Amino acid sequence: MTFAKETKTTAAASYKTAAARRAKRDKYFKIGSLILFFLLWEVLGRINDACQWVDPKFFPVPTGIIASAYTYLTDGTLFTHLGISVYRVVVGYAIGVVIAIVLGSLIASFKTMDNIFSPIINLFSPIPIMAFLPMFILWFGIGEQSKVILIAYTTIIYMLSYVTEGIKDTDPVLIRSAVSLGANPWQLFTRVKFQSAFPNIFLGMKGALGTAFGAMVVAEMMGASTGLGYIIVFSKNWFKMNDMMMAAIAIGLLYSLMFAILTVVESALFKWKKETTGGAVEK
Amino acid sequence: MAVYIEHLFKAYEERDGEMQYVLNDVNLTIETGEFICVLGKSGCGKSTLLNVIAGYLKPDKGSIRLNEDEIHGPSAERGVVFQQHALFPWRTVSQNVQFGLNMRGVPDAKEIAQKYIDMVGLTGYENKYPSGLSGGMAQRVGIARALANDPKMLLMDEPLGALDALTRDSMRRELERIWQITKKTILFITHSAPEAVYLADRVIVLQKGKVSLDQRIDLPRPRDITNPKFNDYVRQFESEITGVAADSVITE
Ligand SMILES: Nc1ncnc2c1ncn2[C@@H]1O[C@H](COP(=O)(O)OP(=O)(O)O)[C@@H](O)[C@H]1O
Ligand SMILES: [Mg+2]
Repeated sequence: MTFAKETKTTAAASYKTAAARRAKRDKYFKIGSLILFFLLWEVLGRINDACQWVDPKFFPVPTGIIASAYTYLTDGTLFTHLGISVYRVVVGYAIGVVIAIVLGSLIASFKTMDNIFSPIINLFSPIPIMAFLPMFILWFGIGEQSKVILIAYTTIIYMLSYVTEGIKDTDPVLIRSAVSLGANPWQLFTRVKFQSAFPNIFLGMKGALGTAFGAMVVAEMMGASTGLGYIIVFSKNWFKMNDMMMAAIAIGLLYSLMFAILTVVESALFKWKKETTGGAVEK
Repeated sequence: MAVYIEHLFKAYEERDGEMQYVLNDVNLTIETGEFICVLGKSGCGKSTLLNVIAGYLKPDKGSIRLNEDEIHGPSAERGVVFQQHALFPWRTVSQNVQFGLNMRGVPDAKEIAQKYIDMVGLTGYENKYPSGLSGGMAQRVGIARALANDPKMLLMDEPLGALDALTRDSMRRELERIWQITKKTILFITHSAPEAVYLADRVIVLQKGKVSLDQRIDLPRPRDITNPKFNDYVRQFESEITGVAADSVITE
């Protein structure tokens, strides 16, 4: 499940280069497109109110969604639901990332670990997480545990191959360099193999964020009385389309925010990667 | 550090029950402080020889001793410079040069690294990442990184092979200067006869898995490439390698 495409943002201090000018123009273009989209949506909704093509109850409009958000805000429940969703996804995702890195490192480093874990992982990884949720609820209860575990599980399954492949892909000549400079096996792993795999691992982390959000929403829709996913099911039962849209948009915004944080961290971590602003050929 | 190579055999594959030896009974002694060039056609086993001495490959038969000790795998006493610079892309120039020192927890790593960065003429580039360096600069960092770790011996596998002719020329001169300062034992691989004559105390020609020629170069340093004797050596090696009259071969 993906919520947003990764977009390249070029922070340009001055707009002297052609690439920087172009980036600025592109940005205004994109913002304009969004504004136009919401305007058209609202207008279409108003026309529908008048013409009754479909029951207006089933046609959410931007102003209605804002009104829903306002209601949830004033009675204080928006932050309760938002907070619990953030808590679940952050905790589950963090646990998943840590386990994936440790497990992936072991699998990539020791053939025995590979032989033990890979067949089991290959057996379970093709099964959609939805199929596991009822089991997890029975095992771990309807509380936070089952949700956090589900989110962690999906994160691990998604990330694992990025970790193992990244480590195994380390340029052999870098390994040779390091051992001839006196690195011991632990130093070789931490200072060379892991460093070399880190960009790939981070790519896996960014991708796993999408699946973690997917797992969160599923868990909240199937066995919860709080959270953004819960608002969606609850609103469905009462035909509150605006509330549903509000929750969906909140999920999207939350994801985008966390993805943006990861992107900022990434660009700080991997300054050493060659910066390519203009693409393969400057236009 | 002196290196004694005796009856060294190395094969990558077996065909019809026969080992296909890339190194087929190599015998070679390298004295402490000597600058040795190994010369040969591409595919003749030069890198294989270097990789066995470095400890990356295990010999099938024979022995390699450093002074008294048989070698067991790679070690910091044998520094290696690769054809592709092999710098750690996530480390700056200074951090790359410090790598070996960091592994041993040497306290003044930064200052020591600086000395070698200055020596290879890269003062001012300490905080650049390898992606921002030219090929020649990256190769110098590779040399500084190997030297900063103070190995007893330096193994260099066509370190100038990826550079353009002008850069190669100036790097050769620098390499000779650095060797005269540090007095390391150097095993230098090349497929260029003039390069070998310019740099080496002794040139080893490798052919069909054997040392086919072991020739001392009796010319004063720095070597004058216009000296007729210089060209005599070059011709001698080229005809040895190609097996034809040397004038018909264009080198480099
Ligand atoms: N890893 C390998 N596996 C199989 N054959 C190899 C391997 N490395 C080198 N060879 C073969 O061994 C021979 C010598 O290779 P190499 O030592 O790299 O030559 P050089 O460095 O002189 O060009 C070549 O024929 C090459 O194809
Ligand atoms: Mg080679």
